[in-house]
Order: sequence, then C-alpha cells, then structure tokens
Amino acid sequence: MDQLRRLWPFVRRYRRRLLIGALCALAATAVAAMIPQIVRFAVDDLNTRGVVLDRLVQYGGLLLLAALVEGVLRYGQRTQIIGTSHLIDFDMREALFAKLLTLDQGFFTTMHTGDLMTRVTNDLSAVRMFLGPGVSNLLGSTLLLLTAATLMFLTNPMLAAIVVLLLPMVAVLFVVIGGRMRAIFRKVQDQFGEISTRAQENFSGIRTIKAYAQEDAEIRVFREANERYRALNLRYVLLSGMLWPIIGLMLGVIGAFVLLIGGRMVAAGEMTVGELVLFNAYLAQLAWPVIALGWTVDLYQQGAASLVRISEVLQRRPAIASPPDAPRDFVVRGEVEFRNVGLRFSHNRSNGNSSGHHTRASSPADHPLVSGAPEWVLRHISFRVPQGSSLGIVGATGAGKTTLVNLLARVRDPDEGQVLVDGHDVRTLPLDALRRGIGYVPQDTFLFSVPIRENVTFGRPDATEDQIAHALAVSRLVNDVEQFPDGIDTLIGERGVTLSGGQKQRTAIARAILRNPAILILDDALSSVDTHTAAEILAGLRSIMKGRTSIIIAQRIATVKDADQIIVLHNGEIVERGTHRELLDLGGRYAEMYRRELLRAELEDE
Amino acid sequence: MSRGQFDDDEILGKAYDATLVRRLGVFVAPYWRRLALATALMFGGAAVELAPPFLVKQAIDGPIAARDPAGVLPLFGLYAAALLAAFGFRYGQTYIVQSVGQQVMVDIRTRIFSHIQRMSLAFFDRNPVGRLITRLTNDVDALNEFITQGTVALLGDLVRLLFIVITMLLLNWRLALISFIMFPAVMLASSVFQRIMRGVYRRVRQRIARINAFLNEQISGVLVTQLFNREEQSRIRFAELSRDYLAAQLESNRTFAVFFPLINFLSVTALALLLYFGGQAVLADVATLGMLVAFIQYTDQAFQPIRQIAERYNTFQSAMASAERVFRVLDTPATVVDPEHPRALPSPVRGEITFENVWFTYDAEAAGPDGSGLADTDDRWVLRGISFTIPAGQAVAVVGATGAGKTSLVSLMARFYDIQRGSIKLDGIDIRELRQAELRRHVSAVPQDPVCFSGSIASNIRLHDESISDEQVRRAAEIARAAPFIERLPGGYEYEVRERGSNLSVGQRQLLAFARAIAFNPEVLLILDEATSSVDTETEALMQEALERLIQGRTSIVIAHRLSTIRHVDRILVLHKGRLVEDGSHEELLAKRGYYYRLYQLQFAEAGELRTEN
Repeated sequence: MDQLRRLWPFVRRYRRRLLIGALCALAATAVAAMIPQIVRFAVDDLNTRGVVLDRLVQYGGLLLLAALVEGVLRYGQRTQIIGTSHLIDFDMREALFAKLLTLDQGFFTTMHTGDLMTRVTNDLSAVRMFLGPGVSNLLGSTLLLLTAATLMFLTNPMLAAIVVLLLPMVAVLFVVIGGRMRAIFRKVQDQFGEISTRAQENFSGIRTIKAYAQEDAEIRVFREANERYRALNLRYVLLSGMLWPIIGLMLGVIGAFVLLIGGRMVAAGEMTVGELVLFNAYLAQLAWPVIALGWTVDLYQQGAASLVRISEVLQRRPAIASPPDAPRDFVVRGEVEFRNVGLRFSHNRSNGNSSGHHTRASSPADHPLVSGAPEWVLRHISFRVPQGSSLGIVGATGAGKTTLVNLLARVRDPDEGQVLVDGHDVRTLPLDALRRGIGYVPQDTFLFSVPIRENVTFGRPDATEDQIAHALAVSRLVNDVEQFPDGIDTLIGERGVTLSGGQKQRTAIARAILRNPAILILDDALSSVDTHTAAEILAGLRSIMKGRTSIIIAQRIATVKDADQIIVLHNGEIVERGTHRELLDLGGRYAEMYRRELLRAELEDE
Repeated sequence: MSRGQFDDDEILGKAYDATLVRRLGVFVAPYWRRLALATALMFGGAAVELAPPFLVKQAIDGPIAARDPAGVLPLFGLYAAALLAAFGFRYGQTYIVQSVGQQVMVDIRTRIFSHIQRMSLAFFDRNPVGRLITRLTNDVDALNEFITQGTVALLGDLVRLLFIVITMLLLNWRLALISFIMFPAVMLASSVFQRIMRGVYRRVRQRIARINAFLNEQISGVLVTQLFNREEQSRIRFAELSRDYLAAQLESNRTFAVFFPLINFLSVTALALLLYFGGQAVLADVATLGMLVAFIQYTDQAFQPIRQIAERYNTFQSAMASAERVFRVLDTPATVVDPEHPRALPSPVRGEITFENVWFTYDAEAAGPDGSGLADTDDRWVLRGISFTIPAGQAVAVVGATGAGKTSLVSLMARFYDIQRGSIKLDGIDIRELRQAELRRHVSAVPQDPVCFSGSIASNIRLHDESISDEQVRRAAEIARAAPFIERLPGGYEYEVRERGSNLSVGQRQLLAFARAIAFNPEVLLILDEATSSVDTETEALMQEALERLIQGRTSIVIAHRLSTIRHVDRILVLHKGRLVEDGSHEELLAKRGYYYRLYQLQFAEAGELRTEN
C-alpha cells in the first residue's frame, strides 16, 4: 500500500472524474441488484397463478428499463474510471521520459536499454491495468457483492451464508492457479527468448555458419531449444487449460448446493420457487465479479511490482545537474583547464556487463585484465588549454582519452580535482549553457533516423540554409548528400538510406560545427574517413575554428601533429606533453608511435 | 525489430483461404488421432453441458412442485456428476489441442529455420534479420492460435450452439422460438464490435510500436540529445506520439464501454421476452415453470459461443496473413544448391584455385541463368571475365578500390553465391559439382565482421564440431595468438561470451575468428582483412602476427586493407571495376608504376602524408 502513495500525485488531478465514475458504479450496482428481484416476483406470481397479463408487461418493462439504466451507468463507470487510467498512463509516460532525459550516463551504463524500455512500456501498462480495470473491478465487484449479499441474507439467511462463504473460494482459486501460471510462464518466456536469440545470432552470423558448414548442427541446436520450449509450454498448458474449467466447476458446485438445499426448502414449503430462482440469478450475476476480484489481486501484485520499478526511475536524482545557484546568463568563451583530475572506475558495474553503454573507455572489453583492473581510469590529470588554442590527445585504446573529454561536458564528474571552463569549476556552471558552448563529435557516431537535415541541424534548429551548406562543405559531406535520393532531406536509418561509417562521422562533424561552438571536441572522429578527406576536413576546421578552442583525440599522430599542445595518455595518466616537435625531441612514447608510422611509410618506399 | 513491424506485417486480408488452410493441414495431419480424440471429448462436453438447466427444470417441476424434499437429492447427484464430467471433457479437450498446437509449432518453426539455413547469402541480403525473426516468432504464434482456436474450438462453438438450439426445440418449440429472437441481435452486435475493434487494435499496436521505436532510439542516443541541448524537442515529439496512442486507447475503451452494456442489455431483453411470452405460456399450461427457468439458462448459455464465433474472425484473419508470409519464405527456392551427383575432391586436397572467365552480378534475376540477360557493358556486373590460377600453397592478396569486387571474389570462392558465366575450380573440379559442405570443409572464409556467438570461448572456436578436441582448440588459439588474452579471462576457455561477443573487444573477436579458422584446418583460406580503426597498435601487431601464421602453408586469398599484410603475400591481384588489371609481386607491381602504384598511394595515404613531410 505504501507504493500506492507514490501514485497520488498522478491521480490527484483526476479526482473529479474518478468520483463521477465511482458514483456511476454505485448507482449501476443498485440497479443491477434489482433485476433478480424482478425475476423472483414474476416467477412467484406465475407459480401461484395470481398473475394477470398486465403484471407480466410491467415486469418485462421494468427489466428493460433497469437494463437500460444500468447500461448507461456502466458506460459512465467505464469511460470515467478506465478512461482516467489511460490519462494517468499518458502523464506517467511523459514524466518518465522527461526524467530519462535528465539522467546521467552513470545511470544509463547500469541500465540496459531493453530494461528501460520495459519500464516505460510494460511496467507502465501493468500500473495502468491496476488503476483502470483493477480499481473499476474492485469497486464494481465489492459493491455488487455487498448489495447482493445483503439482499440474499434478507431473503434466506442460511442459503445466503452458503453462497457468501463458498463464492470467495472462486477468487482464491483464481489467485492460486494464476500465481503458479505466472511462475511457469516466466520460464516459458525465458526459453522463448533463447529461441529468438539463437535465430538472431544465426541469421546475423550466417556467413560464418555457412563458411564452416555448420547448418545441420545449427538446425539440431535450434530444434533442441524448441523442444525445451514445448516441454515448458506443456507444463504451462496443464495449468492454464485447467483455469476456466475448474472455475466453471466451482461455480457449478455452488449452484448445485443452492439447488439441493434451496430445492429441499422449497419442497418443504420454507421458501418460494421465486426465491430459489433469485439465488440462482444472483449466483450467475456474481460469477464474473468474483473472478474479477481474484484478477484484481493479480493486477495489484503486478502493478505494485511495476510501480516500484517505475519509481526507481522517477525518484532517481540525476548525478549531474545544474547547481541551483548557477549564474544565469553564462556564455562559454573557451578556456579549459584540468586541475589534478582523477576518476575512479565505477564499481556498480559487474564484469562483462557491457552491452548497450557508451562510455567505451571504461568498458571491460577494452581491459582484458578484468581481474586485476586498476582502480583509477584517470589520475593526476592537469593541463590548460587557453581560449582559441588546440589540444591533441593520443594514447592506446583504453588509456582514458574519451573519459577525459567526457569530464568537460560533464558526461561524468571527476572523483578528485577540478575541471574548469573560463576559470569556473564546471560543476558550478549552468549545465545547458556549458553544453551549448561545446560542439562534440563522439567516438561512437550516433545519428537519429530522421532526415539528414534534421541530424545536421540537431543542435541548431534555427540554422539558415547558408550555414547548413557551409557546415556540409567543411565536413565534406556535400558531395555525398547530392547523391542521395532526396538530397539533404533523405531519411537515414532502417527506413531510409544507410550511411557508411565515414559518412556518419562526417554528418556528426557537420552537426557539431553548425552549433558554432566555443569548444570543439573531436573524439577519434575521423577514424572511418579516408585520410585524404580527413586532411581536407582538418584544414577546413582550422579556418573556422580560428579563435576557438579545439580538442582532438586520435589514434594516428598525423591527425594531431599540428595542435598547439599534445598530451600522451597511458594507463590514465599523462606521460608526455608538449608540441609535436618537443615530443619528438623527448624521444619517448610519442616519438616511438611516430617512428612506427614513419616505418610504414619507409616500407612503402622500398 | 519493433520499428519495421508495422510496414508489411499489418496488412490483413481474408479470414479464410482454402489453399493456405490446406497447406497448414499438412502440418496438422500427423496428429489427427489426437485431434480426433479432442473432438470426441468436445462432443461429450457439449452434450453434458446441456444437463444442468434440464436438471433444474426436473427439480422444479418434479420433487419441488410435489413437495418432496427427499426427491431433490438424486437430481443433485446427477447435477454434480454432469459438472464433473463437463470439467473433465473441457480440460481434456483443451490440453490435447494445446499440446498438438505446441508440437506443430516446433515442426513449423524448425521447418522454417532449416529452410532459411539452406538459403544462399543473396536471401539474407534481401531480408533483414528482424523480419526473419518475426516469421519464426510472431507468425508461428499466430498459426498456433489458428490451430488451438480455429480447429476443434471453432467446431466446438458451432456444435455447442447447435446442441442448445436442438435441445430447446425438442423441449418446447414455442419457448425456443421466443429465445431465438435475440440470437441474431447478439451475432450482429458482436460482429460489428469485432470489426470496429480490429481497426482500433491496429491503431493501438501501430502507435505503441512508434513509441517503442522512438524510445529505443532516444535512450540509445540520450547523450547526444543532452550534449546538444535537445531535451525539450525530444519531449515534445514524445508527447505527440504518446498523445496519438492515448487517443487510440480511449477509442478502444469507449467501444468496450458501449459493447459490454449492450450485450448485457440484449441478455436482459431476452429474459424479459421469455418472462412475458413464456409467462403467458405457463399460464396457458403450454409450458411448466421449470421449463421457463431452464430456458432462461439455455438462452444465457447460447450467448457465449455466438460471441466467440465473432471473435475468432480476427484470429483467422491474422493467421491467414501469417501463413501467407511463412509460406512465402518456405516457397523461396534455394538458389545455391548441391548437385544431384556430386563429385568428390581428390584426396589429399591440394588447394589449387582456378578462376576461368568468371562473370558475376548480384542481380541474378536480371542476368538469367547463363548471364545472357545483361549486356557485357552493363553496370550491374560486379566481376567481368576474371581469370587466374593460384597454385596450391600460394598466398595472394587482392587489392582494389571500394566496389572493385574484392569481397565478391571471396564470397564466390566459398560459393555463397553462384556465378553467371565461367567457372571456379578447386583442384581442377568446378565447385558447383561439389557438395557445399564438402567444399566448405576445405575452403574457409574468415568474414569481415568477426562474428561471435553466445556460449563459451571454446564453443566459439570449434562451433558445433565435436570432432575438434579441447587440445586442438587450445592449439588453434595459440597459433592465432588468441591464447594469451583467453587465459587471462575468468574461466579461460569456458568464459561465457555474450550475445554478439559484446563482452569482447573487436581485436579479441578478430583473434577468435582466426583461431576458429585454424581449428578447422582448411586447405584454402579466404580472409577479409578489414582494417579496424578502433584497434590500438599493440593489438594490431598481434593480429598481423596471427595472420602471418594463418596463411603459412595454405592457399590463401586475403582482401588486404593493411600495408603490412601485403608484405607477407607472394602475389598481388589488382582489381579495378570488376576486371583483373594487374598481377604480380609487390615489388614488380610498384616498379611497373601502373594502377597498383597509384592505388597504393591513395589507399594507404596515411603513409603518403607522412612521406611528403619528410
């Protein structure tokens, strides 16, 4: 019940609607309970032959009227209560999505995309099912049970006692069987997941399968997975096939008891035939509400569990947010400084849990030595990039390059030391203004499946055609765009054209430079672009980045050698720094990397 | 997967298609005995369910009217027995039909999967993985619905209704006719409701699919949204999608809010009619009171199968659509097939490769079986008259600009596709005269994107080939230079690789793929050596070393993207626009200062750039 309190903020605004729905339910119940009474009088009148045709017309008319009124009221009950649940569903979905947009990468690395999707869809729908059909059933069923029970007790207390004691058994039966069904169903679902994963892996890796002539073995494995699925499903069917027949049996048994005891009473003259019919009619009328009560227990359990999972997201505080006292009209100029920055590996991630997250630098896949993993991703990082100058960062995969630039845009916050922009600790700055000042081209290019234009203007929806054209020209995307079916308005992604790795990176570059940022960050952003084009892009960037700060991460020295200063990262620490020339003179790691690149060139000259 | 789902999968047609049903029948036929038993149980159930209202009538008109309390007991006994029997019949029927459905699903699913396994790569190029998965999952489920609800259950509805109608007519035809008045109304209301709901449900599904697709993308790209300050726009777009979904949901709710009370109203109307006309019959002594009570119950009982028959229409419709899609897959003929009388390779296999005037296009349909459908000058030819011979044991690199046909060359050697003209021979035998399994036992291709499967490291190396021992797996890993990283993993060779190898780095996956190739020990190796940008120098050096060991002593064709690879091969084939333009050693070709020389400068320009600086 404690969970339910969390729903209150969402429920509150619909109090009126819910009240109207409840009133409709109350009135509908009263009318519905009258119908068996009418039948009873009709039967008794028929039995004693004390009836005239007029009375029959009256009974018939009353029945129709009652049914009509009940129908209208039930319409009201349903549209108000269940309709409200849909409105709340909408509100909660919006709140969840809005919350997700504020959460930090720390959150997204611990949560799988699929899991989050489930929370926003399945879990939300479980909560809605409780709020809608659940509450509506609870209200309708309870009211009808109470009314019918009262009326039955007034007619014949003993028979009423039998019905009222036995009927809840049906609900219990439903809950017990339903609970066991769910337990098995989960296993069935898991096995089903295995089947579809098997197929997915097989189809994606079909070249390998065929290359090694593994088709028959794959079919065998697939069939086995299917057989296991069938076996589990049969266990499920054993239960689910029983559910409705056994509920029917249970209701029938209660009916049989009513017939036996009531029949004997009627025969003994202690009760009228009409009263017996009345009990039968109530029994028929209560069958569904009682089952629905059992169902509501189910809905509540599922809804409560789902609500916890939803609340985990809704209550989550973003680890990275604007401080309340941040200056209002801050604009980034572009000076960057790291002061003795250190960052630990986050411990909330278990080994090997790496699918679907984005901070690649700390992924265990890049650290084969999982067991002996170092404690720090970055340590003792200090450097200063004056406004308008450029910084190159090189180092092996897993050295911490991406993590380092992530600290600047506050994708993460450091565990020690300070990151400063224009002399202010980034944690004191308004987050949106900070990010507005940064043009970021991430290592994993992410584009949305919308037209290229929308992707390019993503950070600048108000860009003019000239500005767009310029960005496309600098990123050398313009020729590619001309070849697409709808030019710049071509949809990309699954339902449009598929871009090559290089095209994606160049689109991401166009997107970043269109923002006209004070600080431009290229994180290995030219890796899929051929070297000739990469050089052109770099030259283009140099001209538009005059007076602006740029930070360039690269695997190849050729990309960074013109930077004003270069740092070499190794195992999370800066091991060398200086200009290209200075670093060569130093004769260390950088010089060695450069020597390797030259060696290749010489090989070619042979 | 969720996104594409509403394109082609939502088009629904007829609810009954004789051809499709006949073809589905083939899958169900083996289990006809069990289905016959279920049908017998169904008949039993339908008959037994008629008893309770009749027994109530007997009780009211008999012992109760005669004021004989003791006479009620035997009727109670019968009543209880009828209930138990009905339970047994219904449960038995449901279980048997469901178990047949499960069995048929296994059969159909395995059949589809096996068929897909036999398809050539051209089929996989055309069909996205998500769509194929949908065939195996959603579509097969829809067929299961058809079997469990469409066969015995549908017959059961009809039989139950028929039994009730006959019983009522036999008991009292006047009351029966009065009861029947409402049946058409219920049928009409139900089918109108079903028709409306079909459209509504479709909208609900489409809109939730759109929400899911959007959500999935937004979660994957949330960092980009945040860094580019686009949260507000995302929220607005999401609210739009969500509002569309809300509208469909409310529409569905309103439809239900009308339908349920309407059915209730119809049922009460039937009651009122029975009371009015039946009451007069009782007064006129044409019917007894017990009869009237029994008829009220029979009428209620008849409502259920009438409503269900209307509901089954939807099941049928989607089952037919699914069946059509499934059969479309099953009807796709395999384009690369084994010969009827395969030849055997001479033993031992030496590994000599010969291409003789090979012409190839991916547009096999336009080209026709002998390639005469396309002119020699057509752009669609990927390879145009390629001829060369690679003696056994020679290592050859294939170079060329993007689109020159390098990858195709390798795919053809493994017979992933068939060529239109010319011939490809292994040790002098045309590969089309060999069984594919035989060919691929001797010719292995290491694909461009190193694929990993969920399972242990060892199972990723030996795949399902149990004849490869643990020792061989280990040795292969050592030769491929994969052993050092494997041994550092927790569990070593038993380390669990996740789906698509997501817990391994690209470099590690590549080394595993090499180890796999070595474990299978083929005479001919085909390697697509994609330069992976995200691999650091150290790993790259490892991979280079592994590659060298790999090609030692084997006929190898390497699609080279790296300079260092080219250094280790005996010979280089240069492709340009589908033609073999140069052929010779690295030094020879450089000395020639021809196409290779220029390509070399362009493709490996990173080195070129450095050279200009020096």
